[in-house]
Amino acid sequence: MESVLSDRLRQTGWGAAPRAVRQVPVAMKVVVAGGFAVGKTTFVGAISEIDPLRTEAQITVESLGIDNAGPINGKTGTTVAMDFGRITIGPDMVLYLFGTPGQDRFWFMWDELARGSIGGVVLVDTRRLEDCFPAVDYFEALDVPFVVACNLFDGVATHHPREVREALRVPSNTPVVLCDARRKSHVQETLVLLVEGALRKATAASGRSAR
Amino acid sequence: MTQSPHPPRIVRPYVLTQGRTKAPESTYGLEAQVRALVPPQQLDRAATPEARGIVELCQRSTSVAEVAARMTLPLGVTRVLVGDLVAVGALAVDVGAPDAATDVALLERLLDGIRAL
Repeated sequence: MESVLSDRLRQTGWGAAPRAVRQVPVAMKVVVAGGFAVGKTTFVGAISEIDPLRTEAQITVESLGIDNAGPINGKTGTTVAMDFGRITIGPDMVLYLFGTPGQDRFWFMWDELARGSIGGVVLVDTRRLEDCFPAVDYFEALDVPFVVACNLFDGVATHHPREVREALRVPSNTPVVLCDARRKSHVQETLVLLVEGALRKATAASGRSAR
Repeated sequence: MTQSPHPPRIVRPYVLTQGRTKAPESTYGLEAQVRALVPPQQLDRAATPEARGIVELCQRSTSVAEVAARMTLPLGVTRVLVGDLVAVGALAVDVGAPDAATDVALLERLLDGIRAL
């Protein structure tokens, strides 16, 4: 089966795929990260045109670095869930917002999410600031643009963004903002800041001047 | 959200893929766009309900993540099944330009689009 299939694949070949599929929109992607229950799905849902969907990946215990990995089946695998939303920018472009799995031990799944992404939004609960450290570290190490958004639980700011910036020691070109994850306008503004940052970086890299 | 009703699945997910856990090309990103090249009626009569469901869903270009979510299949299984359907010419997958996220023109377009929401 395996070899028959790969033979067939070789014959079909990616390059041989019909060109009729060119009306496919360009897919852009943003990663929404942060600690457990910080409001990632709320953030995604506030601006997504569809109710956030959940996609699940099964990973083997082996890949978690734990002994006793058996064959892959529902029993020995662990399920990682990621919520995501979609925004149709136009017939030519779609933006996807992917929430990272909440549990820290699944952070390796972020590579999958971050690959080809514009950058990230790190949602912060200022009462549990340390929960966002892995996300900040991750985007810094990856050197992709990101925005730190302090979620206003119950619409109340418990800390000034300046305090959060100092505590996190994020680079000066990384925006730190207040954001009520339930409000579309706040989420929209956060995404604008992220894409502006990505655009600045891309413009500098390409040597072209910004508009 | 309208979710098409699926009959309860009585086989374990990886039985659907005959034990295979890797798509022939495991490079499909979550956001890769899947599009049907044939109507579902044109599928082989022996096609599984999952294959039929995917082809039906992808009559409009749909992301890999959304196919998985709407079909309630794990991501890995979805990629294998999509790969199979690509191999038989029922689907095409557009994995996108690798540098779309750093393309100035695309980012400008995206920024305008988000501002206009």
